[in-house]
Amino acid sequence: MALIELEHIVKTYDLGLSKVPALRDIHARIERGEFVAIVGQSGSGKSTLMNIIGCLDVPTAGIYRLSGRDVSTLSDDQLADVRNLEIGFVFQSFQLLPRASALENVELPLVYRGVAKKERRDRAVEALATVGLEDRMKHKPAELSGGQRQRVAIARALVTQPSLLLADEPTGNLDSRTGEEIFHLFLDLHAGGNTIVLVTHEPKLAARCPRAVRLVDGLVIADGPGREVAAANAEALGAEALAQFQAAERAAQAGARP
Amino acid sequence: MSEVALQAPPLEAPAWTVRLRRGWTGRLDDLRLALDSLSSHKLRSGLTLLGIVIGVFTVVAMRALLTISGIAIGIMTVILIFMVQSGMSASFARQLSTLGPNTLFVHKWKWGVSGSDWWKYKNRPHVTMLDLRALQQNTTLPVAIAPLVNTLATVSHAGKDVKGVDVRGTTDGYLDATGWQIRRGRFITALDQEIGANACIIGADIEDAFFKGQEPLGQQVRVGPNMRCDIVGIFARKGNAFGQTQDLRVVLPLSSFIRTFGSKRGLVVAVVAPEGKVRETEGEVTAVMRNARHLAPDQEENFSVNRQDKLLEGFEQMMKATNITGILVGIITAIVAGIGIMNILLVSVKERTREIGIRRAVGARRATILWQFLCEAVMVALVGGAVGIALASGAASIIDLISPLPARVDPRVMLGGVIGSAVLGVGFGLWPALTAAMLQPVEALRYE
Repeated sequence: MALIELEHIVKTYDLGLSKVPALRDIHARIERGEFVAIVGQSGSGKSTLMNIIGCLDVPTAGIYRLSGRDVSTLSDDQLADVRNLEIGFVFQSFQLLPRASALENVELPLVYRGVAKKERRDRAVEALATVGLEDRMKHKPAELSGGQRQRVAIARALVTQPSLLLADEPTGNLDSRTGEEIFHLFLDLHAGGNTIVLVTHEPKLAARCPRAVRLVDGLVIADGPGREVAAANAEALGAEALAQFQAAERAAQAGARP
Repeated sequence: MSEVALQAPPLEAPAWTVRLRRGWTGRLDDLRLALDSLSSHKLRSGLTLLGIVIGVFTVVAMRALLTISGIAIGIMTVILIFMVQSGMSASFARQLSTLGPNTLFVHKWKWGVSGSDWWKYKNRPHVTMLDLRALQQNTTLPVAIAPLVNTLATVSHAGKDVKGVDVRGTTDGYLDATGWQIRRGRFITALDQEIGANACIIGADIEDAFFKGQEPLGQQVRVGPNMRCDIVGIFARKGNAFGQTQDLRVVLPLSSFIRTFGSKRGLVVAVVAPEGKVRETEGEVTAVMRNARHLAPDQEENFSVNRQDKLLEGFEQMMKATNITGILVGIITAIVAGIGIMNILLVSVKERTREIGIRRAVGARRATILWQFLCEAVMVALVGGAVGIALASGAASIIDLISPLPARVDPRVMLGGVIGSAVLGVGFGLWPALTAAMLQPVEALRYE
């Protein structure tokens, strides 16, 4: 059974007078243990897709199964529980609590899971050790470098041992060297058996992932090994691919207005 | 050394400080100047430190502090109002118990009446000696009858004056009718009244004022402008009622009182009914009075037979008014303080939108967020309430010290303050907490 199954996922933002389609007809399957990059220009719908995969948002139509369970119909509280149990988020802007220490930040998901204080502490220490921050546990985010903050965020994502690690432009706010370190950390985590979905706008990064999914205007236009997908930019698409894309777009529009 | 000190004031210091300092330098020795400059430096560093502390204080903390003080003032005000009220109730109850529940008071005025009927009672005839005599001769039920009349006058002894003494005229029934007790000597007798004797009984405060360490019995005091009278008895100390001493008094035979102060004042006649026969006695007194006044059966009474429960009614009305004031003040402060809580919480929710987003992303449910902010609101309110209770307790001890009211904070009122502030926190924290809980995680995470 695939970890993630997306079937005919549609997400439309209602802006009152106009309806803006962000995702039009997304099909995808991601197996356990995969490392998938979702790549696309800004406005391609990749952030919307990430929010839906991360259960932060629900699709307008379509079915999303996470570990075989349809989460597109869950209540707000159930989604919160799924986020807590199944998903670890890593954000571009780290999203750490500024007034809490690294350790307290990493403990936070376990607090909401109701883990006892002692065990919470042990597991947070362990997670921080995994990302190489065992000597920075008492520091506040403001006292840490960008790369260290992102490591804290990764530790927070890992501490719950989630089925899925979901990273949204994790290297976007870092200089290239630190970004490289963080990317290597993800590669290590993948090698250690974690399922990772990485959202990025950088084809170079996508090229180094075992698999990449390219989004354009809310549609998947390429899905395959990272290097191939990255190479196939819009100009390089053959006539066949372009026709395929246009057909898919027409189908999606027909689907939107039955 | 002194030259250095002369230049110590900064250039922008106003001229008068420079002059002042020069004035000092002329008079103080070098050591003193050195100490002075040191301490002024200390002050400067202290001020700098204070500036930093205030600077570090975030705006949110300031707002929280202001709200806390708002709640504190509110809670304190309400507690103080209730405290003063309960103090008044307690002393009133004590005062009433000294009147005795079986005592009727025949008076021109009806007790506990206010406002519109004022003229009606004003125009009634006074209760006079004739009425008193009729009551004494024609009633059968009363245990004791005593006329009461009083004025404030100056009492003097050996060149010393005490002003504002409560001088009363009465007869031998007074002790039975009022419950006052003689500590030493005797009370007025029927003979004193008959002959208009120059005899008096003094209160404990008068004894203290004139006869410290002396024997008052047998000595003379001057009462009013020209009456000299012998002290034949001393009252036992009674203490305060309504915040006023009751022991600053002199009691004379009614006849002597009238001779000195004139007969224009009306009397109050206290009639003590036997136990359980208050109603019958009231009927008899009314009948005797109507007879003495020659009232036809269809004529309205031109006197009143008062009982202390009527006084109680009037007092209760007054208490109700202060109660309403207390509740109104409470409501207003509650609203003001509550809006303060709501304000800081709404700002807090806005400022911490991303935090809420993060918490939601890692698995906090809506209810968890709601609970978190409600707890904050209740904490702010409780701190305010605690400060208010502390202030009220402090104010109570001050009031107790400087005013005659027996002020103290009832533990039940304290508990009420704590519960009230908690309710305030929940009530006004609910809306901001709900807005926090209803935030969409995606929106909250994106918020800058």
